[in-house]
Amino acid sequence: MLEGKQVRLRAVEPDEVEPNYRWFNDPEVTRYLAVGYPISRAYEAQWLERRGSSGNNFASGVQLAIETKDGVYIGNVGLHEPNAEHRTAVLGIAIGEKDYWASGYGTDAIVTLLRFAFGEMNLNRVSLHTFDFNERAVACYQKCGFQIEGRLRENYYGGGRYCDVIVMGVLRDGFDRMHGVAP
Amino acid sequence: MLEGELVRLRAIEPEDRGRAAVWLADPEVTRYLTYRYPSSQGALGLHGDWLAEGWENSFANGVRLSIETKDGVHIGGINLHRIHPEDRKAGLGIVIGSREHWGKGYGRDAVATLLRFAFDEMNLNRVWLTVVDEHAPAIACYKRCGFQEEARLRQEFYKNGRYYDFIQMGILRRDFDALRAKGGGDA
Repeated sequence: MLEGKQVRLRAVEPDEVEPNYRWFNDPEVTRYLAVGYPISRAYEAQWLERRGSSGNNFASGVQLAIETKDGVYIGNVGLHEPNAEHRTAVLGIAIGEKDYWASGYGTDAIVTLLRFAFGEMNLNRVSLHTFDFNERAVACYQKCGFQIEGRLRENYYGGGRYCDVIVMGVLRDGFDRMHGVAP
Repeated sequence: MLEGELVRLRAIEPEDRGRAAVWLADPEVTRYLTYRYPSSQGALGLHGDWLAEGWENSFANGVRLSIETKDGVHIGGINLHRIHPEDRKAGLGIVIGSREHWGKGYGRDAVATLLRFAFDEMNLNRVWLTVVDEHAPAIACYKRCGFQEEARLRQEFYKNGRYYDFIQMGILRRDFDALRAKGGGDA
């Protein structure tokens, strides 16, 4: 259990199909994610099962449920493609419960996970991709310590057009100065 | 067979493996590559187990080709990986393993030839690559092929005792067409 200020991050449980099914079939949520095909409950169940059996560890990466301090499950956050030599990983987040958007939960979840990434997993760099039209996300990532590192032209197609992808990265030193790696 | 000016790109054959093993054992060749652990020929990261059966080049599988000179000398390999049907994009990777063929335009011709295939046959919209920031000849080569620098990934790559920034570069179909219309670059 990783404790933040507003949220706690815990392992995702195999029986949590329903909220995930709802979130990842919601066009308002998936608009900001690189998914778009309808997802079945069966697929969600398999995914949660696989995730549960691989566990959270360096080799498999980390996939965690975000819940509020009073126990409401509002989304997921993860570290993917961990690389041992480069000491890098890629961060992904989705707050599926739209009532909890723009209230600091995402920022707190990311800062909490980055503290784990640098303070426990001993990573040196975490990066992410976000769409150019998702300005709110860029601002949130900047608050967490990410810097804009570039713009990949026409890197993603969705909603009838190509859009640019913003690449952002945070290094351990930069995060430490802003938020402190040690809790 | 894809014909360029200086090179031809052909399917990989099992006997290419021996040469790939020699190249990948050369630290000068792998200086800026992810490849680092000594490995037996059978487990080669570049030309791996699939080599025995041959690689089926397709949109779904990706494209892996051997680079040979016009007189049939195998000098390296080139590939399109992570090909994405919705985004119509792919990543490009290349190695000229034969050091005596460095700095003579073979890599540039191989990249230009594969880009032509990517846009004119596979109907892609974008090709991207990453390169270590210190690897100036490679960056210059990609620019001449029409790639633009799009991002600097700080400390993304660890090799040779230090972190390097990665430069991510991209070329769009319209960039390639513009270069071709001008008769510029090697398009």
